Amino acid sequence: MAQSVTLPSEQQYNYEVIRKFTIMAVVWGVIGMCVGLYIALELAFPHLNLDLPWLTFGRLRPVHTTLVIFGFGGSVLFATSYYVVQRTCQARLAFPLLAEFTFWGWTAGVGLGALSYMAGITQGREYAEFEWPLDIAITLVWVSYLSIYVATLLRRNQPHIYVANWFYLAFILTVAILHIFNNLAVPVSLTKSYSLFSGVQDAMTQWWYGHNAVGFFLTAAFLGMMYYFVPKQAGRPIYSYRLSIIHFWALIFLYMWAGGHHLHWTALPDWVSTLSATFSILLLLPSWGGMINGIMTLSGAWDKLRSDPIMLFLITSLSFYGMSTFEGPLMSLKSVNALSHYTDWTIGHVHSGALGWVALVSFGSIYHLFPRLFNTRLYSQTLIYVHFWLATIGIVLYITAMWVAGIGQGLMLRGFDQYGNLAYTFTETVEFLHTPYVWRAIGGAFFVVGVFVMVYNLVMTLVAARREEAALQAKLAAKLARA
Amino acid sequence: MMNEKTTKQQKSTAVQTTGHAWDGDLQEFNNPLPRWWLWSFYATVVFALIYWLLYPSWPWRDSWLHGLKTVTFTVGKEKVTTDWNTRAVLIQELEEGRSATVQREFMEKIAKVDFGEIQKNPEMLAFARSVGKGLFGTNCAACHGRGGQGVVGLYPNLTDDDWLWGGSMEKIQETLTNGRNGFMPAFGETLNPQQLDDVATYVLTLSAEAPQSEASDRGRELFQGYGGGCYACHGKDGKGQQSLGSANLTDRIWTIANVPEKQTLEDKKAAVKQVIANGVQNRRVMPAWKDRMSPNEIKLMAVYLHQLGGGQ
Repeated sequence: MAQSVTLPSEQQYNYEVIRKFTIMAVVWGVIGMCVGLYIALELAFPHLNLDLPWLTFGRLRPVHTTLVIFGFGGSVLFATSYYVVQRTCQARLAFPLLAEFTFWGWTAGVGLGALSYMAGITQGREYAEFEWPLDIAITLVWVSYLSIYVATLLRRNQPHIYVANWFYLAFILTVAILHIFNNLAVPVSLTKSYSLFSGVQDAMTQWWYGHNAVGFFLTAAFLGMMYYFVPKQAGRPIYSYRLSIIHFWALIFLYMWAGGHHLHWTALPDWVSTLSATFSILLLLPSWGGMINGIMTLSGAWDKLRSDPIMLFLITSLSFYGMSTFEGPLMSLKSVNALSHYTDWTIGHVHSGALGWVALVSFGSIYHLFPRLFNTRLYSQTLIYVHFWLATIGIVLYITAMWVAGIGQGLMLRGFDQYGNLAYTFTETVEFLHTPYVWRAIGGAFFVVGVFVMVYNLVMTLVAARREEAALQAKLAAKLARA
Repeated sequence: MMNEKTTKQQKSTAVQTTGHAWDGDLQEFNNPLPRWWLWSFYATVVFALIYWLLYPSWPWRDSWLHGLKTVTFTVGKEKVTTDWNTRAVLIQELEEGRSATVQREFMEKIAKVDFGEIQKNPEMLAFARSVGKGLFGTNCAACHGRGGQGVVGLYPNLTDDDWLWGGSMEKIQETLTNGRNGFMPAFGETLNPQQLDDVATYVLTLSAEAPQSEASDRGRELFQGYGGGCYACHGKDGKGQQSLGSANLTDRIWTIANVPEKQTLEDKKAAVKQVIANGVQNRRVMPAWKDRMSPNEIKLMAVYLHQLGGGQ
């Protein structure tokens, strides 16, 4: 403790790599979300693909998911985890050159990946579309990340490891395992490989990966973020240490089993289906443990919701987290899944988690982080409120449109007439989707506009910081000259 | 009230934190697990246990626990009871489900009757419409369009009363079962440009798209004589023959050359000329559906298509 008082954080900690990751997070966020909006419009107005192969939905969709999950989400996680591990261990980040490498490696990997999908080079595995050369590069980055993280934890000047670090470490370790096993493949050329698994095993491996990518990349890691930024921003202790231990281990243990629920009513053996459905139900309360711990941290300081827009972001993200982790187990039940699977309900569910939870908690954390990294104040509090409301309205429009689209299409696909024949053809269900698709795009547009408001706010913050520093330098110079 | 609460919290702060502090002010209370949370968690555990007991669940030796729940269904006259599994659930649904039963009863009736009887029976007609709509949307709409309006030059319009291969239910059934292959030879080599021009002009006069002229007279001679030989398929009167699938050129319905869309006579002539010169080859292939649809389904489709356009 004593050490931190003597040194300013700038010198004590490695902020350089965090700054880079934070800025790239915003950049990837803007590009990735704009691509998302464009493909949402393509689905409503297919002519927008302009007959250009690289602009079609099939190619741009993995560009969108990769840029928002790995580009935006990944960079936010690198930035915040490097920040949190240093500050809660009171130790400087280990291996500074390797940390630089994680930044350049990750950024290049994500960028090249997006370009390769537009060129039509893909493994065709959802959220793991990178072909094998990029997979290997990412593995190197990830192993460096793990070693930096562990080495920094070992250097800590604190007897205990703060809870946020458990989540981050679980995320780094698990993603390494998931990434390696799901991408085991036989290369046949520089741009093409075949999975080592086949048939239903291949599908199961992919969804074991896919679901745990959601569980560890988009949930556990962001809970780590929550465990630091919520109590920091609220200026209050975490609600319950006990709860954090219980829900951490329950979450980590249970998530691994749930992936099979993406393959209900397929060639997947029935016993795997049952196990994954029940483990998804068992996951509900452990997931909520994190929400309770975050929201209850604010108990006794609820007035902050009125005065602090960053708190608004963080707490609302936890509400969306609670909602989507309730919806998820519900959809994993075989009977509900029979209706929801292969419809936009799934897309809505993913986005209530991705926009509501992941993006909102990231925005809140970026707003908290930014002035501290650049040693300044945020340009405008009002603009944070504007961003918050644009984002929230956007999410509500988005997920409502997808409920209508998904449940509507699901009911149409299983509708029978009085003669025992299917009541609707597939094309009729597609026609029905048009209106909700337009509303989804409008919701997405709200969200994207909100992000642009944030970008403006952050850029103006940097401009103001630079101006202030210049003024300070001028004053100092004047003083020196007088002396 | 507010104050009371705050002091209570402050008191608990002193007692309940774990005593650690990170990054200056990061601390942890050690509140007990919320009761409702704990009991809800136990409830999900009980739910999972019951689920595991009833349904196939844990792998065990070289098999798995099959669960207590069973599925019973009748195939033919045989009653089968098995452990719950998705395959059995599907068979049960197909054998005993309400919609499946209704559909099967109708299908059995349809198999026994001919087109005349279907047409007389309003309920069977309604069933044909119901089946036809779904089958059409799944199998035919991709080429012929959602409403069966077709694409000029590629896929015939099924809603007008022009039938290349015959518009009776029997003929439509034949078309669906075995498919069709529309063919016209190319005349670009046989006829010189002047002759091509003349024949095209004549063809346009057949549907009153062009006035009679010397050119059209020359064209008629080619059309009706050995010079062009067009009459062999299209007939001397140009009305076509359904046994060959040759088009009726007098009914103002154009299926390959898009004449109605062209504004000037020259453009119309050019469009017709192109068809005469290049012929129609490998682009008017209707697949055979006998391997993809049951005879009953084809029968119902024939009824559906017959009432979709001007059936004959």
